[in-house]
Amino acid sequence: MAVTETPPETVDAASATDASPTPSQPTGLAAVLGSGDHKVIGRLYIVTSLILGLVVVGLGEAFAIEGLKPETLQIFSNDSVFQLFTLARVGTIFLLALPLVIGISLVVVPLQVGSHTVAFPRAAAASYWGWLLGSGLLIASYAMNGGPYGGSSDGVNLWIASMGLLTVSVLVAGVSLATTVIALRPAGLFLSRTPLFAWSVLVAALMWILTLPVLFGLIVLMYIDHRHAGSIYVGSPTALYPSIEWLFRNPQIYVVAIPVLGFFGDVLQTVSGARMKLRGVAQAAIGAFGLLSFGAFLVAPSEAALDSYLVVAMGLLAVLPLLALAGSVADVFRAGSFKLRAGVLYAVAAFLILLLGVAAGALGSIPDLLDAPTKAGSVSDNIFFLGVSHAAVLAAVIAGLGGIHWWATKVGRQPANEGIGMLAPLVLLLGAALTVIPDLVAGIVGEGLELSADYRGGLTGTNGAVAVGIGLVALGVLLSIVSFIPLLKRSEDAPADPWDGLTLEWLAPTPPPLANFVDDLPVITSAEPLIDLREEK
Amino acid sequence: MATSAALALPPAAPPARPRVLLVGTALAVAGTLMAFAGLIGVYLAQRHAVLAQGGEWLPEGTKLPLTPGTIGMATMLLSGVTIWWAVDAVGRNFRQSAYLALGLTIMFGLAVINSTTFLYTQMDLAVGSKAGLLIYAVTGAHLAMIVAGLVFAAVMTFRTLGGEYHGRDREGLVAAALFWYATIAVYAVIWYAIYVTK
Repeated sequence: MAVTETPPETVDAASATDASPTPSQPTGLAAVLGSGDHKVIGRLYIVTSLILGLVVVGLGEAFAIEGLKPETLQIFSNDSVFQLFTLARVGTIFLLALPLVIGISLVVVPLQVGSHTVAFPRAAAASYWGWLLGSGLLIASYAMNGGPYGGSSDGVNLWIASMGLLTVSVLVAGVSLATTVIALRPAGLFLSRTPLFAWSVLVAALMWILTLPVLFGLIVLMYIDHRHAGSIYVGSPTALYPSIEWLFRNPQIYVVAIPVLGFFGDVLQTVSGARMKLRGVAQAAIGAFGLLSFGAFLVAPSEAALDSYLVVAMGLLAVLPLLALAGSVADVFRAGSFKLRAGVLYAVAAFLILLLGVAAGALGSIPDLLDAPTKAGSVSDNIFFLGVSHAAVLAAVIAGLGGIHWWATKVGRQPANEGIGMLAPLVLLLGAALTVIPDLVAGIVGEGLELSADYRGGLTGTNGAVAVGIGLVALGVLLSIVSFIPLLKRSEDAPADPWDGLTLEWLAPTPPPLANFVDDLPVITSAEPLIDLREEK
Repeated sequence: MATSAALALPPAAPPARPRVLLVGTALAVAGTLMAFAGLIGVYLAQRHAVLAQGGEWLPEGTKLPLTPGTIGMATMLLSGVTIWWAVDAVGRNFRQSAYLALGLTIMFGLAVINSTTFLYTQMDLAVGSKAGLLIYAVTGAHLAMIVAGLVFAAVMTFRTLGGEYHGRDREGLVAAALFWYATIAVYAVIWYAIYVTK
């Protein structure tokens, strides 16, 4: 008998050690407030961001309506128009697009990579509660006449602090998501085999980790300046918003929309039912788009920096990864079939709007093509870049809503309503196009973004289209929410895999239990393990 | 009944995967370095702009003695050696050495906080100037990073005392060391960009 350093154990003992105790599922309020379950945290992010997002969209609609007749319509007082404009812009990213994307990612990514949990579950929960507190404080800061251009010193301090809290919360969520993809994959699921959505979330999270800390450093500077140094630099209420404008223009704004690409690729490959031969190209395209969205170097921008070869090249090159991804995704239909699903409409709508924004961003990056900005040193005061920004944000929102629909049996208890789900992305696509294109046109013909006491953004004639567009976006969001109502209803026979999925998340029951999977995962030998399982049968 | 099945060895260990705490720490370190890259980048850009116009960067009467900063730099380097020693000692299961090394690291970190705050009392620099604002922001943020690194190292020390880390698993200590090395690297940049070049 061979002698070993560790005594041999019986099979029974080994099995007993192997079988970790099943954690009990908390119930009631504890299941929400004290949960470290990634699905619960993701759902909290989704619900809250949709509620706050509707407020932000409503604010945008009010600005568009005021733009119809700025001389006669007075929706916003002269004192508050500047502040609320910044709330609308900050809100689109930090109250709507980013938390919605984080929410769906927290639900789906651990399932996709076959993990029983998200990495650092308590940190992920803290990121939600921190984000929720930061969102509340952000709105409170505006309510007390704070924020950029605010008159209350305490309100301005609160705005800076809330921005810091929001940024850190997003970063913590990003670290949690990226670590999940890097370190919690089962054996055999190499990074090259990672589902495209999980891959795109990894790229997005890495870009958040590499760019948002620069914003946090700036926020530290703002706070010290405003609180202790007498507002001599970036802490002045009039300097706060111009200092963070780099967040809202290309290339940086694209970091919000990187997961759109993964969602697009994942959904279309799934409906095709085929293996993706050009997976490497698709992954490289998503990675390249992530790299080309690095805009933190514009933190202290100048006219020369904006016209530099680097910015121009990044703007122009950003279109190529989208085209490469579209090509590699189209290739799967040569081997597979096509089934029209609501998820496909969401994915295509989000991709088209992002492509519109990125193509416009490329155009806007060409020096002297647009009329000279009206404020020297400002990075996005031409309304053209408002259109680019809206395109990226709306693409992320459409993909986020599409993600809830597509992974409804993982987010909720049943599939979403497919009929309403077919209509919603079409309304969203039309609304997004009407929101974005008029601003691009206004920017090209030289109508700058005038933040005067009356809001005068865009062309008076085209602002009607923008008002209709934002209204349609709000309608599309509401339609999506209506289509999600079945997710709340219990069902004994809800399918685990309504789409004949290809990746591991479809092995989880509906709704997934605390540890995600009931049965052992199969041995993974390809990027499409469920095709392997079907072929074995 | 002693059957061959009953005497089977336990299942093979799962294949080595990247370690969660280490990966998370590496990502957090990357983010922290980017925050300092932004802060120090703004500092250098503003300083360059003032000097390019023929102005004086530091307000008149400001003293920025090099000695406390250099002592701080040397102390940070020493702490880098001691935390490496701690990781190595745990790897060899020399627990007494590990406790001593971790204690020394924490002591060196506290000494750097002391030297930086001493420098604040010496330099006679008001925060109400652009140079003062940026210097206090950069060095103050680094003090916060040192505190975070010390807390991380202290937690890992207590976990080591509790027997969690040993020769075959020292992930937590390696993660704490990684964060601490980043703290040292940032201090080196601050030392040169602010204390040496002034």
